[in-house]
Order: sequence, then C-alpha cells, then structure tokens
Amino acid sequence: MSSCRKRCKRELLKFAQYLFRFITGTLNADSVEDELELSAARHRPEALEQLEAQTRFSRKELQILYRGFKNECPSGVVNEDTFKEIYSQFFPQGDASTYAHFLFDAFDTDHNGSVSFEDFVMGLSILLRGTVQEKLNWAFNLYDINKDGYVTKEEMLDIIKSIYDMMGKCTYPTLKEETPRQHVEIFFQKMDKNRDGVVTIDEFIDCCQNDENIMKSMQLFENVI
Amino acid sequence: MAAGVAAWLPFARAAAIGWMPVASAPMPPPPREKRRGQDGLIILNVSGTRFQTWRNTLERYPDTLLGSTERDFFFHEETNEYFFDRDPDIFRHILNFYRTGKLHYPRHECISAYDEELAFFGIIPEIIGDCCYEEYKDRRRENTERIQDDEENENNKDLVLPELSFRESMWRAFENPHTSTMALVFYYVTGFFIAVSVMANVVETVPCSSGPNRAKEVSCGERYALAFFCLDTACVMIFTVEYLLRLIAAPSRYKFVKSVMSIIDVVAIMPYYIGLVMTDNEDVSGAFVTLRVFRVFRIFKFSRHSAGLRILGYTLKSCASELGFLLFSLTMAIIIFATVMFYAEKSSSASKFTSIPAAFWYTIVTMTTLGYGDMVPKTIMGKIFGSVCSLSGVLVIALPVPVIVSNFSRIYHQSQRAEKRRAQKKTRLARIRATKSGGANAYLQYKRNGMLADAEEEASKEAGKSLVCKINPTFETQHHHLLHCLEKTTNHEFVDEQTYETNCMEVSLTKPSMSRSSSLSSSPHGLSSCCTRRNKRKSFNVSNSNMVGGRRGSIQELSTIQITERPMSNSRSSLNAKFEETLPLNSEEQSYITAAVISMPTPPVTTPEGGDSASSPDFLQSNIVRVSAL
Repeated sequence: MSSCRKRCKRELLKFAQYLFRFITGTLNADSVEDELELSAARHRPEALEQLEAQTRFSRKELQILYRGFKNECPSGVVNEDTFKEIYSQFFPQGDASTYAHFLFDAFDTDHNGSVSFEDFVMGLSILLRGTVQEKLNWAFNLYDINKDGYVTKEEMLDIIKSIYDMMGKCTYPTLKEETPRQHVEIFFQKMDKNRDGVVTIDEFIDCCQNDENIMKSMQLFENVI
Repeated sequence: MAAGVAAWLPFARAAAIGWMPVASAPMPPPPREKRRGQDGLIILNVSGTRFQTWRNTLERYPDTLLGSTERDFFFHEETNEYFFDRDPDIFRHILNFYRTGKLHYPRHECISAYDEELAFFGIIPEIIGDCCYEEYKDRRRENTERIQDDEENENNKDLVLPELSFRESMWRAFENPHTSTMALVFYYVTGFFIAVSVMANVVETVPCSSGPNRAKEVSCGERYALAFFCLDTACVMIFTVEYLLRLIAAPSRYKFVKSVMSIIDVVAIMPYYIGLVMTDNEDVSGAFVTLRVFRVFRIFKFSRHSAGLRILGYTLKSCASELGFLLFSLTMAIIIFATVMFYAEKSSSASKFTSIPAAFWYTIVTMTTLGYGDMVPKTIMGKIFGSVCSLSGVLVIALPVPVIVSNFSRIYHQSQRAEKRRAQKKTRLARIRATKSGGANAYLQYKRNGMLADAEEEASKEAGKSLVCKINPTFETQHHHLLHCLEKTTNHEFVDEQTYETNCMEVSLTKPSMSRSSSLSSSPHGLSSCCTRRNKRKSFNVSNSNMVGGRRGSIQELSTIQITERPMSNSRSSLNAKFEETLPLNSEEQSYITAAVISMPTPPVTTPEGGDSASSPDFLQSNIVRVSAL
C-alpha cells in the first residue's frame, strides 16, 4: 500500500515537473552528446629510431607513413568508426564495414579499441616486409575472431561473408545465399586435414605452404610502399 | 574516390593479404610501377611567392592540374620549380585544399576571380566545404544577376535585335513594355483605359442633379446612359483586343489561359458580353446587375502595371495558412462570445439578441472595437461579458497579426533559403557524385577497355585509348588492381547497375517456366544458374530448349549447374569436390536428386566455349536417363 502511494507521489512529481517545463518552455539541450566528445587522447608515437628498430621500414618510409597517418587522424589514433569509413572508401559498391571490423581487431594488437601509429606500422611491417610464415600467421590471426588458436567454421563463415559483402549487390554472377557457405566448405576441405571441424595454425601454415597459388599471392604486395 | 584517403591505399592493399588464403582463383599480377616517384618537396612559385609541399600531397587529387602530369607544362628548368603566373593570394586556398581536403571560399575575394582560379587549376567549385558553400553560391548568383542586368541595359540601348519572329517580338513587347516605344504606348494606353473604365463604374452611381421637374434623383449612369454605354463599349473593345493579341502572341497558349492575369482579363470583359446578350430579358436583369459588380475586377488589371500589387498578391497566397489560423481563432471566439451574450441577454425584454447568429454581429463589432451601438447589452451579466468580449477582441486580433507578419517574413526567407539550398544541393551532389563515380565506374570501364591485360599491352592500349585515364595515374591502377584481387577472391565480378537489372529481369522471366517443374524447393538455386546460363552467350541453347520441357526441369537444374560452374573451377577435382559439398548443404533437395549427383559420371572436360553443342545433348540425355532409372 505504501509503495503504491510512493509511486503515486513520484508520478505526481514528475507530472508537476513536466507541467513546469511545459509552461516555462525550457529547451533541453542534448547534454549527452556534449559529454560523449571522444576523449581523443593526443597520442604521440614512439621515437623514430625505436620504430625503425622494431619494424622493417626505413626512416624515410616511416616518415611517409606517419605523415599520411597523421594527416588523416590528427589525434594520432584511429578508432573503429573512422577505420571503417576509410576502408569503405575503397569499396564503393559494397559494404566493407564487417571486414573492416575484423581488420581493426587484427591491427589492434593490444585490444584497447584504437589503432595507434605503432600498431598500424607493425601490422604493415608484417604484411609488406615479413616472411611468408609471419604473413600466414597474421592471416590466421585475422580469421581467428575470438583469438583462441582455432578457426571454426562459423568464424570462417563470418570472414567469408564479410568479404562477399564488399562485392555489393551488383555482381556477375549474382550472389546466392549459399555461396559463402560453399566457399567455407571448400576452404575447410583444403585446410582441415584431420577433419576435426577446426583449423589450427599448423594445419593452416602447412596447407598454405603446399599451395602454389597462395604462396605466389603472398608475394604480391611486396613493393607497395 | 575521396582522394583524401589516397594515403591509406597502401594499407588497404596490404590488408588484402587476408584474402589470399581463401581466394578461389589466382590473383592478377600487380601493376608495374612505371615511375617510382620519390616523395620529395615540390616548389610552386606563384608569381614570386614560393609555396612548398610534398609531392604526395599534390598527388592526392589526380584529376586536378597540380595532381596530374599537367603540371609538368609549368616546370621551370632553370630554377627547378613549377612556375604559375597566377594570383598567389587565391592560390593559398587552393593549396590548402590539397593539404586538408577542404576548399574554403575567402569572403573578401571577388567571386569571378576565384572562379577563374578554380577553373584554371581544375577544381570543381562544388567541393567547397559546407562552411563556405552557401556564401559562395549567393555571391555567385548575385554576380550573374548583376552581369545579366548590365547585359540587359546594353541590349536595350541597341535596337538591332536577333531574329525574332513577329509573334515572339509581340510577346516580348507585351511582357517588357520598355523594349520599344510601341509597347510603351500600348502599355500606357491600356493603363489609361483601365483607369477610365473603373472611374466610369464609380461615377455611374453618383446621383446627378436632376432637372427641377423630376421627383427623385437619378444616378448619372441613368441620366447619361448612352454616354456611359459608349465609354464602356470602347473600354471593353480595347480590353478584348488586348486579350486576343496576348493570346495570339503567347508562346504557350495553354499556360497563358491558365494564368491568373488572363483569368482576370476574362472576368473583366465577360459581363459586358453577357449583358449584350441578355439585355431584353427582364427576369435575369437582377443577375445582370450582379454581373456589373464583376466589372470592378478591371482594377486588378493594374497588377500588370504595378509590381507592388503582384508582391502583395504573392504575399497573401504564401501566408494563407496563417490567415486561415487567424480566421479560425476569430470564429471560435465569436461563437463562444455570441453564445454567452445570447444566454446572458435572454432574460432582458425587447433585447436585440434574438438568436445566437444575431449575436454574431454584436460580437464581431465589439471584438474589432468598432462598436456601432446598434446592439447593446442591457443586463448586468451581459455588460460584464460584453466588456470581456471587447478586451479579448483586442487580444485575439492584435496577437496573431504580428505573428502573421513575422511568420510571413520568416517563412518567406526560409522558403527562399530552403529552395535555394535544395536546388544547390541537388546539382552540387550530382556534380560531386558524377566526378566521384568516376571512381566506381572507372573500374568497370577499366575492365571493359580490357586494361587488365598484360602490362605491355596495357601500355599500348593506354596510349591508344586516351579517353579513360591520363597516363600513369598510379593511384587508379593500384586501386583497380585491389578491386580485381577482390573479384578473384570471391570468383564474382563487379557489374554496373544496368547489367544487374537486366539479370534480375531475366531471372523473373525464367521463373514461370521453372514453376512448372516438380515441387523441388531448389528453384532459387536453379534460377540463378538459369540467369547465369542466359548471360553466358555460349552454346547453351540446347539446355534452353530442354528447359521448356519443364517436366525434367529439376534435372536440368543440376546439369546446368554443372555446366555453368565448370569454367569457374580450374580443375576437375575441385569440381567433384564442389558437388560432394552440395550434398549436406542442399537439405531441401529430395533424396533422389542427391543420389543422382553421386551416380553421375564425371563429365567430359569439353570447354563450354568450344560451342560443342553436339556433345552436350548426349551428355544431357545420358544424365536424364540415369536419373529416371532411379
């Protein structure tokens, strides 16, 4: 009984407040948005010498990379939304946001929600200047969404679907529902040697090293920078 | 392609390594780096002021002068810099565009000078950022109007006009009276006659002094009936002639007849003609008199002569909703107070408030503070309510009027601005999209021109086909290579909207024939393969004709699946693998179909491009036989 009365009182108070506000006509500014101003941490990268030591880029290359990076992200870090936006610009016909999300997770090695210049340049160093082993490692890390060391069919399906999403709607032949699933099956057919439903890093690396096409394509982007 | 992200292309290409292990087809070779441009400083000397920037900064926008090889034309060997003989102050903004990606319009600069610089450096003005775009467009419009006015003044001075047909020149004379003296004369004559006609209408009713032997006074109209009739006839004749001439000269007669001015013209002269027809009929003389009232509409003909009147008319039209609101609130107040006054005054004897509608008159007169005094409340309650009524009348009327005025001014400016912005936005976005969908369509065009061929052929083709890209846009080729890699990974190709639409249409066309087949729910699977089959203009006509059979539709699906997917896979082994895959997946399929899949012989590896239609029917027949045996 008392709770009912309390509730009544509360409702009455709210109504009175509402009436007051109605009469005086206060403009409720969206205070929420003001506070959500991203605390864009001004991030300064490590010194050039350190980065030079840690990555396989030369000084000049690092300079070029940093200038480009800083120009796009003056605050020094990329958050996921900016990342998705930038990546989507390259694939105007489809939806690149899912794949960009996976990429972001792969680059954000310390999982703090933002990619700093160090993360960026480390990732690029592996991808462009690393050994084939390192590249395959990186790819496996990309596919392993929950980072548990095993790539399951569901994870692979997510990745493949996100790649197909980038193609968009207007493709030839028209994308069917089962195409990603079939693709996953083919992949597992190739990679999963012991047929246990998951692909481990060793199976993956072994299998890729035996596949000529994959080996060749890994060397594709050597001269990007 | 937003070139601001050109800096990220290396990253996007590196990330493409993630596709490699899952790719279904081998990747295309990377584009050859034709010119390993070192990222150095470029000196831009603009009329003595030296600007320096990185080469990469300029190359962010490869479709502008500074970003493309066009700048080589301005290279000055002696000083090893690029020299431009242009305005350095405006160049500062242009260079900032390359640096920040946003183009700003400096307010103190002349708009045409700015436009010229933009045009010289190959930058479309639509890229101007939101902060400055409205100002830019306003100034531009102002400028064009100013130039137009100047031109018009120029044109009016010289009487040598371009070839205008007689009709067009007549229309021009009517619309702009200051173009020729004849038009001016006509303009003033019609104006004069409108005034005369209106004055005659007015004077007609004034009582003229009657002769001493007349009992009652007669109006001037009745006394000098003939004179007024002649005057009226003359005016109406002039108006008729004018209307007919306008009708003949109008470029679009239908539009002219619909316009407000012509309706006013018609209404002004109709009563006279109707009166001519009906003069001798006494019954309708009352109506005839009413028609005379319409003659006063002639005064509206003045709106052709007065711009102010036109603006007022437009104002009222645009403010209609506010006026309606005023009327509505007034009506509410009138009804309320009339009711109250009626019931208040009901008790008093010989009160004039006989009914509520009768009280309306009192309320209106009181609320507008007229106070004629013909109806007055006598009871105390009536007087109290009467005073409340008059006070509230002031409020009710006084309040909406400034609201209407300010509303009108606000709405007018807002609609002007909204219209402006909408018009700007559409064209602006369209233009930006057009230059950017260079990006999306560039790749398709790139493919269509067969530029994915070998590098040597590429060079020669590029030289030949100058329409698509400028020589060596590195960014473009790398981006296209990236998209090509994606295509190879997924084994699907990018197509443009039109092709995709036609594909979908064909799918829907083949749908009815599919429905005739047995109740297999694998039709969506088959449909898309039908679609692909149609599109591959290879020798699959045989399968087509078998399709019409319908009864064996389901089997056709499988065989067509087989045929169409063959060119995709490179090895027979993977083809078989694919079919074993379909086993667990297509659970909707009936069991006998899956059995048929297993028992199907490995198809002969005849290339479908070979056009070997002779072998394919045998193959199909053998398949069909097998299935039916099951």
